[in-house]
Amino acid sequence: MSEKDIPMNCARFDEILPDLGRPECRGTPLRESALAHADSCSRCAQLLAEVESLDRAFRALAAEESGLRAPERVEANLLQEFRREKAAVSRSGIRWQAAVGIAAAVLLAVGVSVHHWMTRPPATGPATQIPAVGSASPQAQQPAGPSAQVGAHAQPPISAAPEEAGRTVKSARSTEQSVSEDAFTPLPYADDPTALDDGAVVRVVMPRAALASFGLPVAAMEGDGTVRADLVVSEDGTPQAIRLISQDEASGSLR
Amino acid sequence: MTKATEPTDESLLARMIAGDEEAFTLLYRRRQPAIYRFALRVGGNAALAEDVAQEVFMALIRDAGRFDAARGTLAGFLYGIARNHLRKRWEQDQRVVPLANDPDSLPMLQRHVSGSVWASDELVAHDAAERLRQAIATLPENYREVVALCELEEMSYEEASAALDCPVGTVRSRLHRARALLMEKLREGHGTRHVPAVGE
Repeated sequence: MSEKDIPMNCARFDEILPDLGRPECRGTPLRESALAHADSCSRCAQLLAEVESLDRAFRALAAEESGLRAPERVEANLLQEFRREKAAVSRSGIRWQAAVGIAAAVLLAVGVSVHHWMTRPPATGPATQIPAVGSASPQAQQPAGPSAQVGAHAQPPISAAPEEAGRTVKSARSTEQSVSEDAFTPLPYADDPTALDDGAVVRVVMPRAALASFGLPVAAMEGDGTVRADLVVSEDGTPQAIRLISQDEASGSLR
Repeated sequence: MTKATEPTDESLLARMIAGDEEAFTLLYRRRQPAIYRFALRVGGNAALAEDVAQEVFMALIRDAGRFDAARGTLAGFLYGIARNHLRKRWEQDQRVVPLANDPDSLPMLQRHVSGSVWASDELVAHDAAERLRQAIATLPENYREVVALCELEEMSYEEASAALDCPVGTVRSRLHRARALLMEKLREGHGTRHVPAVGE
């Protein structure tokens, strides 16, 4: 039995009375049936009159209050807040971009260093390597003191980018021809002479045995299993020259 | 601009999140009056309604990402924030209750009355509206909410259900009860005879 088939009586009328004035009820058979019942029942007619009166009062109240709005100052306050929030978001975006840029630069530097390290020629043993390298590079046969300053006199000035490279070049010039740890020694397989002018300088810590791969006399080195060195690298990342760092200088640079 | 070409709330919100101030202004002007009236009718105090309207849109500016279109309309979301603020304020200050004689309550309404010449039927309508407003102010809070939305903002049961985050049946039963209470209060004020219930 559908809703419209339910016979209308006072109880049913009471049930649907609050909805009779609602838009969704207008024109429905249920409403027509309720109105017909009110025509024949004085009690329900009175209730209907009260409900209609309440609905009119609601409409009057809604009409009277339809123009109510928050004061203008609320909009002004909100627009101010909107602009402040927008500026904050924008500043935060710039900070993020800067942070990402710095992180990318650091990663690139680390990557280049690792790449240089990984792509260096394999050391096959210091004892056999030294003569071979030495024959390829006469400079490496020069007496190698504790600081391995061989070939310092042959160094062209380096205008490498980092500040440290600049310091190194100045130092190399001032101590040219002297026993110094500030001079760069070209590596036997160096293939880019311009790197000494515009190559980057990278400071590394490497196993002492690895010096053999650069054509340096390993036996002459002091200290434990590692040494510090500055490498001049060409644009393609190949080491072109090396400069050993004494323990004093290394610890000084750390201070 | 015709209705068909008016941007939706959601598109305005997306533009607003992207920093479009004009979109925010449009959204605010579209939704603020109803939110303000709701806060005024439920809170019964113009200063409170102003604070609530401001807080609702401040929350939207600061945390628009909380709105999820899959869970309901933006209007419903804004009513939800308004209700939370009203509750918070009531908890903070138990003195904020709708008082019929509160000089701060509905000041705009008083201004509508003063300075205008009303025809007699308008006076009757205004008198009825004023008595109804006072009767609404005495209803329990959850009844005031459904009256404000379903009767004064003419929302459907479904829309009110979304705005109040409760089932349609609850909205309907609260509204029926609220109307019965209002009729009772208006009868008392008018000295009208009570109509007995069926079987009474």
